[in-house]
Amino acid sequence: MRRTLSQSLSLYGGLLLIVLVIGLPFWWVLTGSIKLPKEIIQRVPTMVPQSFTLQHFEKLLQASDFPVYLLNSMVVALFSTAFTVLLALPAAYAFFRMEFPGRNALYKTILLAYAFPGVVVLIPLYGLFAKVGLIDSPVALVIVNVAFALPFSIWMMRSFLASVPREIEEAAVVDGASTITILVRILMPLIAPGIASVAIFAFISSWTEYLFASVLIVSDARRTIPVGFAGIIGQYQIDWGLLLAGATAAIIPVVILFALVGRWFVSGLTDGAVK
Amino acid sequence: MGLTRILTLAGFATTLLTGTAYAEPVNLTLWHMEQPPHRVQRMKELLDEFNAAHPDIQVKQEPQSWGEIYAKAPAAFAAGNGPDLLFTIPDFTTVLKGIDAVVPVDDVVKDLDAKHGFVKATLAPYQYDDHVWAVPAYNMAISLWYRNSVLKAAGVEVPKTWSQWQAAAEKLSTDGKSGIGLPANKQLYTDQTVYSFMVNSGAGDIYNADGSIAFDKPETVKAYDFYSKLAKLSPADNGTWTWGEAEACFANSSCGMILQFGVINTYDTQAEGDAADLGVAPVPHADDQSDSATISYSNAIMLTTKDEAKQKAAKVFLAWLLEPANYGRFLTMEPGLFLPVTDDGAKAESFWNDKTVTKYKSQVETMIANSHRGKLFGFTTGKVFPSIGAISAQNVIAETLQHIVVDGQSAADAVKAGQARMSEVAKK
Amino acid sequence: MKNTTLAFAFVSPALIFLLAVLGWPLVQAAILSFQDVGVIGSEGHFIGLGNYATILGGRGFWQALGRSIVWVLSNAVVQTILALATALILNQKFPGVRIARTWIILTRIVPTVVVVIIWRWLLSSSGGMINPLLIQAGAIDRPVGFFATRESAMATLIMINSWRWFPFTTLMMLAGLTRIPGDLYEAARVDGAGTFQRFKRITWPLLHPTLMVLGVVGTLLSFNVFDVIWLLTAGGPAGATQTLPVLIYETAFKGYRLSQAATISVLTTILLMGFAFFATRAMAAAEADR
Repeated sequence: MRRTLSQSLSLYGGLLLIVLVIGLPFWWVLTGSIKLPKEIIQRVPTMVPQSFTLQHFEKLLQASDFPVYLLNSMVVALFSTAFTVLLALPAAYAFFRMEFPGRNALYKTILLAYAFPGVVVLIPLYGLFAKVGLIDSPVALVIVNVAFALPFSIWMMRSFLASVPREIEEAAVVDGASTITILVRILMPLIAPGIASVAIFAFISSWTEYLFASVLIVSDARRTIPVGFAGIIGQYQIDWGLLLAGATAAIIPVVILFALVGRWFVSGLTDGAVK
Repeated sequence: MGLTRILTLAGFATTLLTGTAYAEPVNLTLWHMEQPPHRVQRMKELLDEFNAAHPDIQVKQEPQSWGEIYAKAPAAFAAGNGPDLLFTIPDFTTVLKGIDAVVPVDDVVKDLDAKHGFVKATLAPYQYDDHVWAVPAYNMAISLWYRNSVLKAAGVEVPKTWSQWQAAAEKLSTDGKSGIGLPANKQLYTDQTVYSFMVNSGAGDIYNADGSIAFDKPETVKAYDFYSKLAKLSPADNGTWTWGEAEACFANSSCGMILQFGVINTYDTQAEGDAADLGVAPVPHADDQSDSATISYSNAIMLTTKDEAKQKAAKVFLAWLLEPANYGRFLTMEPGLFLPVTDDGAKAESFWNDKTVTKYKSQVETMIANSHRGKLFGFTTGKVFPSIGAISAQNVIAETLQHIVVDGQSAADAVKAGQARMSEVAKK
Repeated sequence: MKNTTLAFAFVSPALIFLLAVLGWPLVQAAILSFQDVGVIGSEGHFIGLGNYATILGGRGFWQALGRSIVWVLSNAVVQTILALATALILNQKFPGVRIARTWIILTRIVPTVVVVIIWRWLLSSSGGMINPLLIQAGAIDRPVGFFATRESAMATLIMINSWRWFPFTTLMMLAGLTRIPGDLYEAARVDGAGTFQRFKRITWPLLHPTLMVLGVVGTLLSFNVFDVIWLLTAGGPAGATQTLPVLIYETAFKGYRLSQAATISVLTTILLMGFAFFATRAMAAAEADR
């Protein structure tokens, strides 16, 4: 496809703008985390670092519980993801490929789960978890994360399921396969990108959850990154270097994850249902 | 050997073992709000030492954040998940006393007072309703901080009165810098700095003897009016300042003066660390007041377990902590910020021997002297009203300031609104 | 495929889970709203509709609702513009488009606390990066306090929130865009239609359904944003950014009035459900018309 000069200019110009808007803040954080404290709080900050130090990262790893928070976040996120997929997949299949009475009404009910702020259920949930002894337990966090990720995940699966031609399923039925076999052997490989998308969405939602983690988790050993990080910030002074190092460290795992599987998420969303 | 013999021997062995049985230690959980990693580290060292010396008592720490604790602690106690020992400030204690989570510590305090001598001002905010509700642990008082070289270069003397202060701040506001850095956020630090002005204009008491609110009076209006003038000379983003921005501003010399509890650590690690140049003075007082006062926060430790064995163990721990040999190291977890609450603590070698305290000796001495003239809003009349908890939690003092600084109201109108707000909050 | 029992078996786990974890607490909140509980854990007595009268009769609720509406609408406008522009760009072919599509979402995968730290630092007027840049560019001559006034605080928050969320919206739109068959564009080009004409005749109408759904879901998600606002301004300055979720949190945890917070929660839920219901109805009607 050939473009005119002006078209190219606007295209690449726009692209550059986007890259700057999204990338610059991260650049500053990254470079800030390796600057000496004096350079960080300079009145006129530098775009390219002029000093280099690893002291902030050292402090982060040694003096704080950051590795523990990282582990907790990982565990909670992995389990939240697993359960979200486990619950969303069959439900989505039922909603979009099967017929049963009340299907539409139930589907709408699930979507309505978006219709209120998390903070509304915080208090009653706290009481409930307290009664069954789930305060300060990662299990509570997993439960909450799955609940908040489910509706959107079911909705996301819709377009992936819709893109699989019915003929494939019908052929399998003619061949005598049971519904479960169809689901597992035939459908799942075809909608693998969809599953990956749901998984990534659930993982990210769990990774970044703050409100419930801050109230439901009490002991330091069980904290997740968002909450633990908020605590590393000094009470009566701010150590910018430590903060920026922590910010960098909080970003890196997700960036790595995304570098590995991000393509699926995106291609799943964008190439997904081209029919 | 026959089976019987083996069994008998086994029986003997078991009795021996259970006789000298490993007694289950009493496990205590301590919640505190000193989250910065180096403070947590120092606590760990102290706790490890205590636990090693007392095998029958094991104390564990759980650092929390001030931002969350007002919500988290009541919820935790309601769910039966609360800690056994909880650090506190005076208004926070009223909240927890309200839900019956605090145990009086009269006997402990009496003993420790006899041994170490508590500074009266640090005990007062916890003595009401015929009991003592927490054991004072460390004190903090706000002082005025500046650089000697900066004042000298501008030809300014250390201000003692408000008119001198205004002049100094204006003179120091040259060249893109702010003469003074005052916060204007709806947040505890702003409550504290505003109150430092209030105590210095004669508006330190916000309650009447009967518990009604005595916020709206000319002295208060005067304090807010002057504060808003100085706030104008502060950096433009002071509306979002929480705890660290004022110090960061002072450290990189963008702010000529700030009001803070302690800046020594930041100044030493993130700025020049030139002990001779760091200046500290009492907060200036209004022209018609004779002497300076300040806000002082007596931080204490509450006993929050109803289990008798745990209570006994906790008292052992508290006594250990205030021993001069240990107490100094507790205070220096943040050198130059935490001040002693006991007379012998103030003389403790373990305190004065700390590297940073030694380097900034004269500053620390001034801070201690300032703290003796400290007061705290809601705890000035000897009678404590529970509504102070909610007034503090909702930062009404800071909120009133925002009406002036953000909405452009006059100080008189804002203070009137503040009075109404406090009365409303105090109602439930 | 008709196999009702199996269908229910598939749906039940998710359904039961949601009912238990989200549905039941809602009921609890409703019950709380009819009592007079103060601090969490304290005794409560039944007081009927007392809380509702207080809340609906006071100014706090209505002001917070107003701010929430401003918040939602502004976010919608800003994000739609940004997302649409970005999606159109990412829909083109150019070297590196795959990488761009993958990494555009960087701002969403970062925990909110980190986003808050980044922007607090960048926008600070003594040590941040934005103010010096603006001064150098000549746009301002003294550092600006981005959160200093009511309007600027709200505007800044909207910008930061949009920065965080627009890539996500972009991907959703991109998904919709890639479903538009390329042949339609080819045919239009052969017929002599220019770029803008192609957009108006093909892109816009075919993107409509995606945009509508995004509108509804986006509104709901946007309305409920709590952590960005709370961690940056805590509803300030002087209450200027106190949206309904922030009001609920403050009433419960700083004002120690649990039942009143529950009341506001119930009212908010009713409002949002009403919106969702009518919006989906309208969407279905619009689709049927096509």
